Amino acid sequence: MYIIGENIHIISPKVKVALKERNKNFFQESAIKQVEAGASAIDLNMGPRKKDWEEVFPWIVKAVEEVVDVPLVIDTTNVNGMEAALKAATKAQPILNSTSAEAERLEKVPLLAKKYGARLIALTMEKSGIPVGADERVGIALEKLIPRLLELDYNMQDLIIDPLVLTVSGCQEFCPELIEAVRTLQYAWDPPPGISVGLSNVSNAVPNENRPLINQVYCAMLMGAGLNMMIADPFDKGLRETIRVIEDRDETTDVGKLYIKISDRVAAMEEPSIDDVNMSDPKQAEIWKTVQILLNKVIYADSYLQQ
Amino acid sequence: MSIEIPKDSWPGEVRTITIGATAEEGGTRTSTVTVGGEKTLPFMHFESPMPYRPVVAIEIKDRKPDDWSQLLNETWGEVMENPGLWAKAAEEVGAEIIQLSLSLTDKDGNRNTAEAAVSAVKNILENTGLPIMVYGPGQAEIDNELIVPISDATKGERVVLGICEDKNYRTIVASALANDHLVTARAPMDVNLSKQLNILIQDMGLSLDRVLMDPTTGALGYGIEYGFSVMERLRLAALQGDAMTQLPMAVTVGFEAWKTKEAKVGVDVPKTWGDWLERSITWETLTAISLIETGADIVSLRHPESVKRVRAAIEELIAVPAIA
Repeated sequence: MYIIGENIHIISPKVKVALKERNKNFFQESAIKQVEAGASAIDLNMGPRKKDWEEVFPWIVKAVEEVVDVPLVIDTTNVNGMEAALKAATKAQPILNSTSAEAERLEKVPLLAKKYGARLIALTMEKSGIPVGADERVGIALEKLIPRLLELDYNMQDLIIDPLVLTVSGCQEFCPELIEAVRTLQYAWDPPPGISVGLSNVSNAVPNENRPLINQVYCAMLMGAGLNMMIADPFDKGLRETIRVIEDRDETTDVGKLYIKISDRVAAMEEPSIDDVNMSDPKQAEIWKTVQILLNKVIYADSYLQQ
Repeated sequence: MSIEIPKDSWPGEVRTITIGATAEEGGTRTSTVTVGGEKTLPFMHFESPMPYRPVVAIEIKDRKPDDWSQLLNETWGEVMENPGLWAKAAEEVGAEIIQLSLSLTDKDGNRNTAEAAVSAVKNILENTGLPIMVYGPGQAEIDNELIVPISDATKGERVVLGICEDKNYRTIVASALANDHLVTARAPMDVNLSKQLNILIQDMGLSLDRVLMDPTTGALGYGIEYGFSVMERLRLAALQGDAMTQLPMAVTVGFEAWKTKEAKVGVDVPKTWGDWLERSITWETLTAISLIETGADIVSLRHPESVKRVRAAIEELIAVPAIA
């Protein structure tokens, strides 16, 4: 699993303060720790920085490049900021995050990716929003995103499609469709594009105590569908353990066996089955209930585990 | 040529809930109302008969409201000054349940009191034998202040007490538990929140056999499609076996329909809108019937003519068509 570390994000109050103070150490330490924890790339989300983009983007890229060698992910809607960051990057091939199928962004952002040889994350989203159905999302990739990149003679192996994870709390009907979108997008082009998702979005607006479980179960299901890249918290030990168990097929624990089984079922295009679960084990029962809400079989409620 | 009609068979069913209690059951009602028990979507008689028909409640207030349409004031006339007589008049025009909505203030603008509210409810119980639902004015503190004494004063009547919402349900649920009443659980057009509230209420020890859910809706032209979809989704989940959604649904159609511009405004509107009264009744009627078709078990209405039309529509919908 290729993990893009998500922890440098302007929505975090600590990041906000550190950026205001131009606290280089804070960002360097975060980057080092994320890489040590297993991140393969570092997301840098500074927000749009409409006023100080010219200074901020090169500053953060240089600061982080001083301490780590992994690719940096330039995560902003500010196209000028993107270019400033790309100019400053000297180490690994950077990743632009992101374009969508909206006309203006699709016009400008791929041009930058092409000009600077960057990888590009492309969201299956149009001006009208994010479609529910897997087919519609794959359709956006096939009809809008990929044609635009072909037009620019872009190296398709550098394309990463993000079919967009939405929260189970409020957008539950999107959850099973996303799994199918991940599965199908692997066949969207030859050579196949990369596919990445923002995993933790699935548990946005969910009470904190339930978020890790929902993230882990969804991760197992998505790995079954072929996902091998995600933006996630590299310090989430439970998540990393789930990924490891599935990748290594480590069947030494019952919970591990269940995660592998869930992933295998999805891979075989089957529904995970209650026959795979020992419901007298509370941990397994919780995983099963989580599968049910993620497949939109049972309506999500904050207390769904108590049902 | 014979045609085979495909049939769905669902694993789950909606709970059957009885509102009101007769003398033998510990109350004073002369009739009770039973709703729920559906094993398939509404009126799909060929899949499973609908055990109980949807019912029509009439919404009344504990005093003549200041903000109701002039059309409603003209229709009900003097009885609006006396909730007991209003309830009696409502029964005469076809109400199957009386739904009392308590006012926030008295006619002079002073905060409503427990004494006044209890006396209004007693007056209603004396003047009608129908089961009743009593909803607070919709502000947590005063809701609890009014509903708890009413609950105590009507012990054993199996009154439906409302409104339970996520921010304010404990007091009302505890009181329903103590006095053998029922409650309405209301969530703002959101399946997740509806279900969550049902779980929380059950956690307090109130059996879901005593809970109705009000998923909230909008009137025709004012978000009814959202209300419709939420109710449809809850009902499908119930039929699929989700125990926390298997509750009959009660919606306040009159409240929604009579606050629309189409029902409220009689002057300076385009001529093509047609007759004001007819338009308002149509608005209320169509809102009610649409929601009955997505699974509403109880609709609260305000105008007698709407009651007549909605009951007639239910009559036709509930009739099992003869298949040649």
